[in-house]
Amino acid sequence: MASGIKDKVAILSMGCSRFGERWDIGQEELMREAYAEALTRAGIDPAAIGAAWYSSHYDDIGAGKSGVPMAMALSLPDIGVTRVENFCAGGTEAFRGAVFAVASGSVDIALAMGVEKLKDTGFAGLPTASRGTLAPMYLPTHTNPGNFAQLARAYEAVHGIARQDLKRAMAHTSMKSHANAVANDKAHLRKPITIEQAVQAPLVADPLGLFDCCPVSDGAACALVTTPEIARALGQAEPVLVKAVQIVASNGWEAQQQGWNGAYVHTTRQAAKAAYAEAGIADPRQISLTELHDCFSITELVTLEDLGLAEPGTAWRAMLDGRFDAGGAQPCQIDGGLKCFGHPVGASGLRMLYEGWLQLTGQAGARQLGAPHSALTHNLGGAPAQNVCSVTILGL
Amino acid sequence: MANIIRIGACLPRLRLERRAMAQAMGWLVPGAGAGRGTRTLAFWDEDSVTLAVAAARGALGRDRAESLTFATTTPPFAEPQNAALIRAALRLPALCLTQDATGTPRATLLALQAALEGTAPALIAAADRPVAPAGSTAESRMGDGGAAVLTGPGAGLFTYLGGASLSAPFLHRTRASGAETALDWEERWQREAGYQAQVPPAIAAALTRAGVEAGAVDHLILPCPIPGTAATVARLSGLTRAALAEDLADRTGDTGAAHPLLMLAAHLPRIAPGQIVVLAQFGQGATALVLRAGEGVADHPGLPALDQGIPESNYLKLLAFQERLDWDRGLRGRFIVQEAQSTAYRNAEALLGFVARREAETGLIRFPPRNDVPGEDWPLADRGGIVATATADRLAYSRHPPNCYGLLDLQGGGRLMMDFTDPEAADLAPGDPVRFVFRVKDIDEHSGYRRYFWKAVRDTGRGL
Repeated sequence: MASGIKDKVAILSMGCSRFGERWDIGQEELMREAYAEALTRAGIDPAAIGAAWYSSHYDDIGAGKSGVPMAMALSLPDIGVTRVENFCAGGTEAFRGAVFAVASGSVDIALAMGVEKLKDTGFAGLPTASRGTLAPMYLPTHTNPGNFAQLARAYEAVHGIARQDLKRAMAHTSMKSHANAVANDKAHLRKPITIEQAVQAPLVADPLGLFDCCPVSDGAACALVTTPEIARALGQAEPVLVKAVQIVASNGWEAQQQGWNGAYVHTTRQAAKAAYAEAGIADPRQISLTELHDCFSITELVTLEDLGLAEPGTAWRAMLDGRFDAGGAQPCQIDGGLKCFGHPVGASGLRMLYEGWLQLTGQAGARQLGAPHSALTHNLGGAPAQNVCSVTILGL
Repeated sequence: MANIIRIGACLPRLRLERRAMAQAMGWLVPGAGAGRGTRTLAFWDEDSVTLAVAAARGALGRDRAESLTFATTTPPFAEPQNAALIRAALRLPALCLTQDATGTPRATLLALQAALEGTAPALIAAADRPVAPAGSTAESRMGDGGAAVLTGPGAGLFTYLGGASLSAPFLHRTRASGAETALDWEERWQREAGYQAQVPPAIAAALTRAGVEAGAVDHLILPCPIPGTAATVARLSGLTRAALAEDLADRTGDTGAAHPLLMLAAHLPRIAPGQIVVLAQFGQGATALVLRAGEGVADHPGLPALDQGIPESNYLKLLAFQERLDWDRGLRGRFIVQEAQSTAYRNAEALLGFVARREAETGLIRFPPRNDVPGEDWPLADRGGIVATATADRLAYSRHPPNCYGLLDLQGGGRLMMDFTDPEAADLAPGDPVRFVFRVKDIDEHSGYRRYFWKAVRDTGRGL
């Protein structure tokens, strides 16, 4: 019987580059920016790193395939570097690899890095990801706004929510994240917005408007993980421990059969259930803060429900009531989330963990919450009907 | 000798108003928008192959054919054989004689004559999506459309009595291989030395073979874009009492290879069982077929699609849909279509025939099918479905934005994310019924290579 990952691995240190349209630097510099911060905070010699995992979604932009680009960019000490790609859950996938390596006893310290250099495409929004040879022969030419607009339309239809109410709830979601990001000097978007601005923004994919969509950003984030014993030996009295890491990939049920109603994300529910079991959490509402995958405002609303932080069909109302604002009962996206911190695909999972780690170690500066004891991060890669979902829980 | 069993037709929904053509191009070309009314305009994802498939589905019904001829002057591919794709889309047995018949719109009646003079069930699918210089009279007179006919033993719409074909090196329209538009010679010469000189002898020979007097002919179906010419041909041929079929000029325009069959279909409500029909066509000679109407013509609905169009007043859509406008596609529109022919071929039954699989152990319907799992083929083309989720995506590249797609719950089980198509695609919402049409999936801007797949359109219950 598997015992799970709980309390077997600690976060020694983390780093995160400034996110945004980093016209002046490339993928290598982004990685070095995050890595330097992590090394400085950890106070270790890079030679102590035993293995590395590297997440990057696109390989036709950025630095290309394999682990070599990261090994070269960081001048790693002749160790194994594994490149992983798992849509928007790639950053968490890299983290999981590093965590498993430490938990197995294979290495003492492992590095997980996620990076994406998206602003070398020449256009706004994400490029179309390759889908092999067969899928483009029958699947529509889609975009992520188009995919998640379907989630919004199903959500309003299933729960009987008036379009204007949904639009305002989605607008509040984005307004809240913009407000949170003002104090974050690494965030991509740091200007506050009003609900009216968001409601009246041009449509991208009905009913999602411009402010319902997260930006496309350059950025990198990384983690150095080790055993709790080594973390304590290196001076961390109360290290942040990994309580759960779960990843679930769609097996075709949602997209190929008729049981799913389109108004929730099946993999999120499954991953959350597994993560709560692994972490021993009975009531997820007791988790101190959440960083969830708000690629679109509707994703945040639906995910709040799928994670058990709101009852199905109620998150929109709770959002309008301010429950997930910085000063609310369950602060969400305290760093601005994907919506405003930014979304460099392969890095986002590690960026969320960075915020969780900062908050749990009291290093979050102006946005520091009171005395958080636990943090949940969530990634959703792909489309609501066919995706990869990760849920990670950190705690003291 | 075989009979005409059934006729199928497909008209694109869009009907481009000729006054819009005149307004757009008349300042430059005096003849722009010649004529009255509308012409049919194929949507961006309709071409002669898809129009032929749609028409052939109607002609086939639940029957099968041993041969398939695709008659067109506008085949999407010079190579490969277009008929091979059509056969696969129709799921005719692989043991089928397929061929493309091109070079003249008369290819349709040439193929039909050959089929009627044989005995085996044969399918002739005719379609054209012609292109002419912007603002030209030809562009205005042309239309896009498809029509198909199933022949074979047994009772149907018409009994074949006899026919004749005449060949002439009469080059009234020339278009070199690879050229997009044709050069038309003077119209009066076409009328007098062409139609009036060549069609009557073909009709005479056909009537002789059929053993029918000219004065006994009740109906003449003769496509001719030059006004008044069909009446002159009838008079010159001694068809003293024949009713002339409407040329559909004001409604569809001349749809080339499809036109004789479209005119025949539209004229069917005026034909009574037992009446004699001459179906004729011109082009490097002429073909005339003599038919006697059977009981099947009684109460025939004709061509209801004529009245189910959507008016279009934007001429630029014609240029954009025909890929003749260098419009700003944006960087998202710059992509290469990976041919992956070996992938396409091993999945041809699924992709062209639209066949899922019902898995034996679980009863699940799955697309794409897992053909290594025990089960049975599960054809989807005629099943239709219900929209489960939908979007109108303004960011995705589309030749007719927004790009519309969504999850469809397939009748009988299974689910698939599919493109929605036709001008009203953005109106589709969860719960709406849809049916499936065979369309162009995508086109490589540089090579011109195109792929086909099935898409969803609203099911109006009219079988459009």
